Amino acid sequence: MTAPHESITHEVITGKLLATVDEMAMVLARASMSPVVYEVLDFACGICNAQGELVAQTNGITIFTGTFSRQVQFIRERFGTDMAPGDTFLTNDPFEGGTHACDFAIIRPIFAQGDLIGYGIAVAHLLDVGGAVAGSLPPDAISVFQEGLRLSGVRLTRDDRLIDDLVRIITENVRLPQLVLGDINAELAAVRIAERRLHETVAKYGTDALQATFRRLIDTSEARARAVIAALPDGDYHASDIIDGDGASDAPIHVEVTIRIRGSEIEADFTGSSPARNAPINCSRGGLTSAVKTVIKALVAPQEPSNEGWFRPLTVTAPGGTVFTAEKPSPTGWYYEGAAQASELVWKALAPLAPDRLSAGSYVSLCGTYISGSGPDGLFVHIEPQNGGWGATRTRDGASGLIAITDGDTYNYSVELLEAKFPVMIHRYDYNVAAGVGAGRQRGGFGLVREYEIEADDAVLYASFGRTETRPWGAEGGGEGSCNGIVVLRGGEAQRLTRTPWFTLQRGDRVLIETGGGGGWGDPMQRDPADVARDVRDGLLSAGQAAASYGVALDAAGAVDVAATEGLRA
Amino acid sequence: MIRVATDAGGTFTDLVAFDDASGRIFLGKALTTPHDPSEGVLATLAQGAETGLVNSAIGLFVHGGTTVINAITERKGVRTALVTTRGFRDVIAIGRGNRPDLYNLHALPEEPFVPRHLRFEATERMDARGAVRAALVLADIDAAAAAIRAAGVEAVAVAFLHAYINPAHEAEAAARLRALLPGVAVTASHEISRQWREYERSNTAVLSAYVQPIMARYLANLDQRLRQAGINCPSYCMQSNGGLADFTAAEAAPLVLVESGPAGGVAGTVRIGEALGESDILYFDVGGTTAKCSLVQGGRAVLRPDYKLEWSRLRPGYPLQVPVVDIVEIGAGGGSIARIGAAGGVQVGPDSAGSAPGPACYGRGGTLPTVTDAKLITGVIDPAHFAGGRMQLDRSLAEAAFAPLAASLGLSVATAAEAVIGVAEANMINALKLVTLQRGHDPRDLTMVACGGGGPMHAATLARELGLKRVVVPHFAGLFSAWGMLAARPRLDLHRTRLMKLTAASFAAAREIFSTLAAEAAARFGRTDGLLHSRAIEMRYAGQEHTVATRFDPDAALDGLFAAFHAAHEQAYTFRLSDTAVELVTFHLAAEIDAPRIAMPEITGAGSTEQALLGHRTLRTGGAAQELAPVYARERLPAGACIAGPALVEEPTTTTLILAGQQVTVDRHGLLLIEETG
Repeated sequence: MTAPHESITHEVITGKLLATVDEMAMVLARASMSPVVYEVLDFACGICNAQGELVAQTNGITIFTGTFSRQVQFIRERFGTDMAPGDTFLTNDPFEGGTHACDFAIIRPIFAQGDLIGYGIAVAHLLDVGGAVAGSLPPDAISVFQEGLRLSGVRLTRDDRLIDDLVRIITENVRLPQLVLGDINAELAAVRIAERRLHETVAKYGTDALQATFRRLIDTSEARARAVIAALPDGDYHASDIIDGDGASDAPIHVEVTIRIRGSEIEADFTGSSPARNAPINCSRGGLTSAVKTVIKALVAPQEPSNEGWFRPLTVTAPGGTVFTAEKPSPTGWYYEGAAQASELVWKALAPLAPDRLSAGSYVSLCGTYISGSGPDGLFVHIEPQNGGWGATRTRDGASGLIAITDGDTYNYSVELLEAKFPVMIHRYDYNVAAGVGAGRQRGGFGLVREYEIEADDAVLYASFGRTETRPWGAEGGGEGSCNGIVVLRGGEAQRLTRTPWFTLQRGDRVLIETGGGGGWGDPMQRDPADVARDVRDGLLSAGQAAASYGVALDAAGAVDVAATEGLRA
Repeated sequence: MIRVATDAGGTFTDLVAFDDASGRIFLGKALTTPHDPSEGVLATLAQGAETGLVNSAIGLFVHGGTTVINAITERKGVRTALVTTRGFRDVIAIGRGNRPDLYNLHALPEEPFVPRHLRFEATERMDARGAVRAALVLADIDAAAAAIRAAGVEAVAVAFLHAYINPAHEAEAAARLRALLPGVAVTASHEISRQWREYERSNTAVLSAYVQPIMARYLANLDQRLRQAGINCPSYCMQSNGGLADFTAAEAAPLVLVESGPAGGVAGTVRIGEALGESDILYFDVGGTTAKCSLVQGGRAVLRPDYKLEWSRLRPGYPLQVPVVDIVEIGAGGGSIARIGAAGGVQVGPDSAGSAPGPACYGRGGTLPTVTDAKLITGVIDPAHFAGGRMQLDRSLAEAAFAPLAASLGLSVATAAEAVIGVAEANMINALKLVTLQRGHDPRDLTMVACGGGGPMHAATLARELGLKRVVVPHFAGLFSAWGMLAARPRLDLHRTRLMKLTAASFAAAREIFSTLAAEAAARFGRTDGLLHSRAIEMRYAGQEHTVATRFDPDAALDGLFAAFHAAHEQAYTFRLSDTAVELVTFHLAAEIDAPRIAMPEITGAGSTEQALLGHRTLRTGGAAQELAPVYARERLPAGACIAGPALVEEPTTTTLILAGQQVTVDRHGLLLIEETG
C-alpha cells in the first residue's frame, strides 16, 4: 500500500516482527536439549537491521538485553561482504560483545533480491563447551582458556550446510557432543524462521516498508526513552557496593558507579571499580553493557518490546580491565554474578529518583548451584539458579522467592521432577524465616531454604553465591536484608560455603541452600501494626521481633494491643 | 429429540434448544441470578415454553457457565486450608518463582489462595518411585484438623509429594480429615490430577477445594429444580475439555468447568468437521471483546498441556492440571477500541467497548471507534438489519467516532476504518498462525469454521492471507458456542505420569497403563461398551524437558510408537534425533460415550438465488476501489446455490463477507462454504 497507509503497514509489520521473535524463541526453547535453555530460559532471539542494530527481541531472561547489536556488528566487521544467503555465523567470544563461552550466538544474514536486509540472531547457553570441568564454568578459573572452546566469529553453515570441519572441532572438544549439536540445530531452526518470516513480509510489503518500520521502531523508542530521562533531575548520582569474594578468595571487591543525567542523556560511569580478578566473577564489556541496559529498560519502559532505540540516550563508561570490563585472558565464566552487581549499582543510584520503578536491594546473586556425579543413568549434572528475597518498594512489601535480576521468566525446578531424575532427596523448600528480611514501613521479601540429601557416592558440589557478607541495602530508613549461603551438614558438623569451586559430597550429606531476604523501605516504626500482626500470625515474625523491630505489641490472641504499641512507638 | 443448552454467564443466562427432527431452534434469555443461578436457568426454560418448548420432550440438558471462573477471579470461594508434606508448606506461595514481567522491578508472585497460617504440614514421604520413605504421622493430621476447625474453614486440600504415583498417604490423610471434619469439603490432589509437578498439582487441588462447596450447592439446586420442572433426561455440564460431564462428576471436580464457554465452540467445530469429513479443522470465533482460535485434530478437541488461570505475558498465572481445550485468545473483537498508541501506530484492543456502552454506532453513549463501527462504515454491516433488525445502528455516530483517528492519520474516515480492520485482522492472523504454522500444521490443508457475531465478517480476508483451503460458516454462527454444547459427547480425560525409557518392556507397561485407565473410565461412566478411546503419550528425547503428544495405537508394535514419536517431534520442532533414547512421561486417555450427535437436517433445494437477493451495498474491502456487492438473505438460499464474490450473506446473528475472487456455495446442510475461485 502507498503513503497514506504507512502507519498501518508499520503496525502490521511490527506485529509480525514481534510474532516472529516469539516464534523463534518457542522453537528454540522447545527443541533444546539443555535444561539451562528449556528450564532456565538462558537464551534469547532477535532481529537486527542491516547495520546490526536491534529491532526486535524476545528474552526469557534479562542478561541478553544488550548483547545482540555488538555481536552482529562484530560479525559484520569480520566478514564484510563475504556473506551470502545460506550462511550462518557463530560467536561465543566474551571479548567481542558476548558474555561467556557457554553462550553460543548464531547469526544469520538475511537477504532480499541480493541485498542484505537484516540479521536473525539466537543465543543459548549450552550445557558444556569443554574446558576444565563439566559444564565449562570452573569457579576457580584463572584464565578464559579453562572455560571451554572459544569460537570467535566463525562461519557455521554455507548454502545451509553445516561446515564439517567446524562441527568436528566442536564435537571433539565438548563433553556432550550430541546435546551441543542438538542445541545448535535448535538455534539454526530459530534463525531460519527469522529469514522465512522476513521474506514473507518483504514479499507482501516490500523492502522499503520493512526498512521504514525498522527505522521507526528505533526512533520512537529513542524519543520515549529521552522523555523519561529528561523528566529526571539533572545531576550526578553515586552508589558503591561490595562484591563478596570472587571464588579464588573471599576478599571484598569494591565497585562503584556515578550516574550522570544531563537533559535526555544518561551516562553510567564505573570508573573507580576494582581491577579484574583472576577469577570468573568478572564480566566483559558486553556483559556490563547488557547489565546496565537491563536497569535502563526497567526505568524507561519495562513492558515495551526491546530495541536499540531505548538505549540510544545511554553511554556506558569504564576503563578497560576492571572487574566489569575484563579483557582477554581474564575468565568470565560466572559473569552474571558480576553483571548482577553492576545492574544493582545503577539501580541503587537511581532508586530514590524513580521509586515507582525501582525497589530496595535484593538477594541479587543468582546463587548458581551445580551438583554433579554418577547416577543410575550415568553422569548427571544438575544446574540450578536459586530464588530469593527482593527489596521492598515505597508502597508495598518486597517479593518473596523470586528469581534474580539477571533472569526473568525462569522456573524453579520441580522437586518431583528432580527426584525422578537425579539421586537426591529434598527435605525442605520454604521461606527462610530464620534469616529474616529488612524491616521497614514496607518490609523486604523472604529468601528460601532448599535442603538436599545426597543419595550418590561420588557427587560434587560447586556454586557461586554472592551477597554472603554484604547485606541487601534498605531505602529511606528501611533495614538491610539478609545474606545468602550454603551449609553442608555431615555427621554433626556444619560447613559454610559461598563461592565454592569443588566440594566433594558423601551419601547422606545434607546441603542447605539458603537465600537472603530483601531490604526494607521506610521507617519500621511507621509500619501498619495490622501488617505486623499478620506476619506474626503467619509465622514470619516472632512476637518479640514485632516489639523490638516494629514497636508493635500483640495480645494473647495475636491482635494488636493499641495502647501498648503506642507506648513502644512513643 | 430436543437438546437444550443453558449458559449462565456473568450478566445473562442464555438458552438454546434444538429439535433434531425439525431443525427448529428455541431461544431464551434471562438475567443471571448469582445467589442461586438455577433460578435464571428456570426463567429461560419458561421463556422456551412460551414458544413451544415442551420440557417432557427434552432428551438432553447441558449446562455451562461462568460460576466457577467467577468465584475464582472475584475471590469469592470458601475459606480454604492446605495440608502438605513437612517442609513444603510454602510451595504454593513460591510457585515457580518466575518473573515474566522481567524488566518490572516491582513484580510480585501470584498470591496463593491459602494464607500461610492455614497451611499445615504433616510428616510423611514418598519417593519418586512411589516407595514410602517416611510413614504418615496421623497425629499431625489430627492437629491440623483441630486448627482447621477452630479457624472456620469450609474446605481443605491435601497435597503430598509424589502422590501422583502413590496416593496412599494422601488418601489416608483425606479419609482422616473427612472423619474429623464433617461438613468440610476435603480434596486430595490425586483425586483431581495424577500428573507430576508439586506446585501445579497443589494449586489445582487448592482451587478445586476453594470452589467445591459452592458448586455442590449450585448443582444440587439446579438438579432439584429441573426435576420439579419435569425434566428427567440425562443432565450434563459442559466441560473445558470440549465434552460433557454428569452433575456428579462435575461436583467432585468442579474445575473441569473452568472454561466451559469456549469449549462449546470447539465441540461444535468437531461436529461440523464430522459432517464435512474433515478430522483436522480450525475453530475461529470473534465475539465482542476477543477472538479465539483452536485446531481440532483427529476429530477431537486438543487439550492445553499447561493451562494457567489469569496468565498473561506479564503474570505467571495459576496453573491448573485440568483438561482444557487448547485455545489461543487475543483482544480483538467487535467492540475492540482503535487508537493511536504511545509509539504512534494504530492499535486495536485489547480494551473493548463491550456491550455497555458498546460500539459508537449502537447509540448508547460510546464515542470511541471500534471494529464494529469500522465494519459498518465499510459496508459489511447493514445498519437497518443488524441483529435481525431489532437494533438500528447509526452510521453517523460511527463516522464521528472515527473522525479524530482519521484526522491524526491524515486519512479519510472510510480509509481509516479499513485500516483499523486491517490491524485487527493482522492480530487475528498472528493468532491463527500460532495454532497452525508454529505447531507445524499447513494452513493450506485446513478448513476453518468461522463463528461468533464477528467471525464470518473477517474470515474471507484471513483465509486468503493464510491460504486456507476453505471457510465454513455454520448456522446460528452467533450462537455457535451454545449449539456446540448440544453437539458435545460425555467425555473424560485421564492422565498418569510414569517416567520410563521406551523399550519393549515399557511398551508392554504402556499397554497395561492404558488398560488401567480404560477400566477407570468404564467405572466412572458406569459402562464398558459404547466408549470411544483416544490414547496419547507425552514423550520426549532423553534429556529434554518438554514433551510431544504422540498417538498410541494399542495394536501397533514398538517400532510404530518410535516412528510416531520421531514424526511428531519433527512436525513440532523441525528435527528428529533418531539415535537418542526416548522417554515416556505422561499417559493420556480421552474416553467418550459414543452418543448420537446433534443432527444436521438437510435443507431443500427449492427456491432460487435470485429470490434470496435483498439488494446491493457499497463495499470497501481494503486497498481496492469501492465495489457494489449483492446482499442475500441466508435463510432463503437453497442448497446448491453458488454466488461469486464480492457478496454479503445476512442472517440475524451475523453477516458473511465474500471477497472478489472467492465464491460461496450452500451445501445440503445449509452450511456456507467459501473458497477461492482462482
